[in-house]
Amino acid sequence: MRLVLRAQRKSVLPREAGAAPLDIVIAIMAFLAALSLCAVLIAQRTAQDWRRGLAGKLTVQVLPPAQGPTQPALARETRAAVRVLETTPGIFSAHELSEAKTERLVEPWLGKGALVADLPLPRLVDASVVPGMRVDLAALRRRLKKVAPDGYVDDHRHWLARLSRLADTIMWSAYGVLGLIAIATTATAAFATRAGLAAHHDIVELLHQMGAHGSFIASAFDRHYLRTAFSASLVGALLAVILFIVAGGLEYVGLKPMAHLPPLALGMGQLAWLALIPLAGGAIAWATARLSVFAALRNIY
Amino acid sequence: MVRFENVGMRYGPGPEILRDVSFVLEAGSFTFLTGPSGAGKTTLLKLLYLAEPPSRGLITLFGTDLATASRHLFPALRRRIGVVFQDFRLLDHLSAFDNVALPLRLSGVRIEDFRQDVEEILTWVGLGSRMQARPSTLSGGEQQRVAIARAVVARPDLLIADEPTGNVDSDMGQRLLRLFFELNRLGTTVLIATHDRGLIATGRSQEMRLVDGRLVTMPTVRP
Ligand SMILES: Nc1ncnc2c1ncn2[C@@H]1O[C@H](COP(=O)(O)OP(=O)(O)O)[C@@H](O)[C@H]1O
Ligand SMILES: [Mg+2]
Repeated sequence: MRLVLRAQRKSVLPREAGAAPLDIVIAIMAFLAALSLCAVLIAQRTAQDWRRGLAGKLTVQVLPPAQGPTQPALARETRAAVRVLETTPGIFSAHELSEAKTERLVEPWLGKGALVADLPLPRLVDASVVPGMRVDLAALRRRLKKVAPDGYVDDHRHWLARLSRLADTIMWSAYGVLGLIAIATTATAAFATRAGLAAHHDIVELLHQMGAHGSFIASAFDRHYLRTAFSASLVGALLAVILFIVAGGLEYVGLKPMAHLPPLALGMGQLAWLALIPLAGGAIAWATARLSVFAALRNIY
Repeated sequence: MVRFENVGMRYGPGPEILRDVSFVLEAGSFTFLTGPSGAGKTTLLKLLYLAEPPSRGLITLFGTDLATASRHLFPALRRRIGVVFQDFRLLDHLSAFDNVALPLRLSGVRIEDFRQDVEEILTWVGLGSRMQARPSTLSGGEQQRVAIARAVVARPDLLIADEPTGNVDSDMGQRLLRLFFELNRLGTTVLIATHDRGLIATGRSQEMRLVDGRLVTMPTVRP
């Protein structure tokens, strides 16, 4: 019975022996597509992290006064700024950044040691905003001016906007690359199906002559290319998944595989998106093969 | 069943291969198309089995005027025709059995229902023991018999055979001819092209002779 069923399903096309180049190209395309998709996911997540990290924060910077003794004025204005912040609606905590912390912040630019100790560094006050609340910045600035004329409010909005723009740029570039890969895959598949059709022209013609409908002939071809493209792009996508799992693992044990990049570790939920790639690869090859067959059949009487 | 009216045929810009060919084949008839090599027999058959459109003239097949019929009807018309090609055109990646089963698969018959038909016809043409063989491992005569089995297995309304006994000895030739007559007795209209006039002496049949692209003998029933 099983033998009978297998005979029924036996393709009217021979198994392709020389399809390896197509497999390789599609696997590479899928790998690149997976990388672009991961870039989208990482950019999305990083932008979200930044937003979450900065959105709830306000910083007041108290600069050293232009004249008069520096340290007493700085200390007085900073304490006043903390009090103002604490009594501002929408802010639930405010505290001064310790001198040590401030020094660490400027260390990359100024180095450390005696030189820094003598420099009048600005004092920083960090405030946390109640999530979902908007702070009236204009009012805050007015109140601050009265008690701490050298204090300046920074709500990071400007940074957030720039980071968002950066993340958006990365995302749209990655979408663009995905689009290009889809086009290249389509072109490759079209080329391969056309070559396959030419190689099996005798079979196509015979089936056509025997009264096979276009859809019967097309399904023999599209199934073949669907299978080829699906498995090849599955391999490519899996390679990318392995790459990202390894990168995530390295980060987990404290190694950063690539400097200057946000964390590469992707969650399983995000990696699941990569399952779209073999589906898309298979669908592209399937549709292209079908269209090629119908185009070829239109040229036969 | 088949009507040609003033049919002319040329390949591309080439010379006219068929000129003013007119004839009628009645349903249930058995006809030999004879003529020297290069006379245009294969070309005439191609028009008939819908492999090429005529350059001019009218062809009516199963009551359908091919010039005005929708192309969507052609697959159904083609499935009513069994063809033995001069060059066999077997698929080499399929066994003899699967080659013969192909027309049945195309008409959507389930394999449980056609296995016996295929085995029967292959046994009739003397290939009962070679059903799983690849065509390339068969001799020319054996391949021809597979091609014949494939053409007749679906009991077509019209059987067209192009030099179907060219590669077999006369004993097998007579045996295959008996198969065609048997099929004809069951209702299939048969048209066989051959340059072997010795073949046509057998059975109740008519002859149509083509010389240099023109019909010189109209179908006439022989005794
Ligand atoms: N596909 C083709 N293209 C151009 N000329 C062809 C083609 N097929 C056959 N011919 C020409 O048509 C003529 C008749 O050929 P054919 O129909 O095969 O004759 P027969 O079957 O009687 O030997 C020959 O001169 C042949 O060269
Ligand atoms: Mg011929």
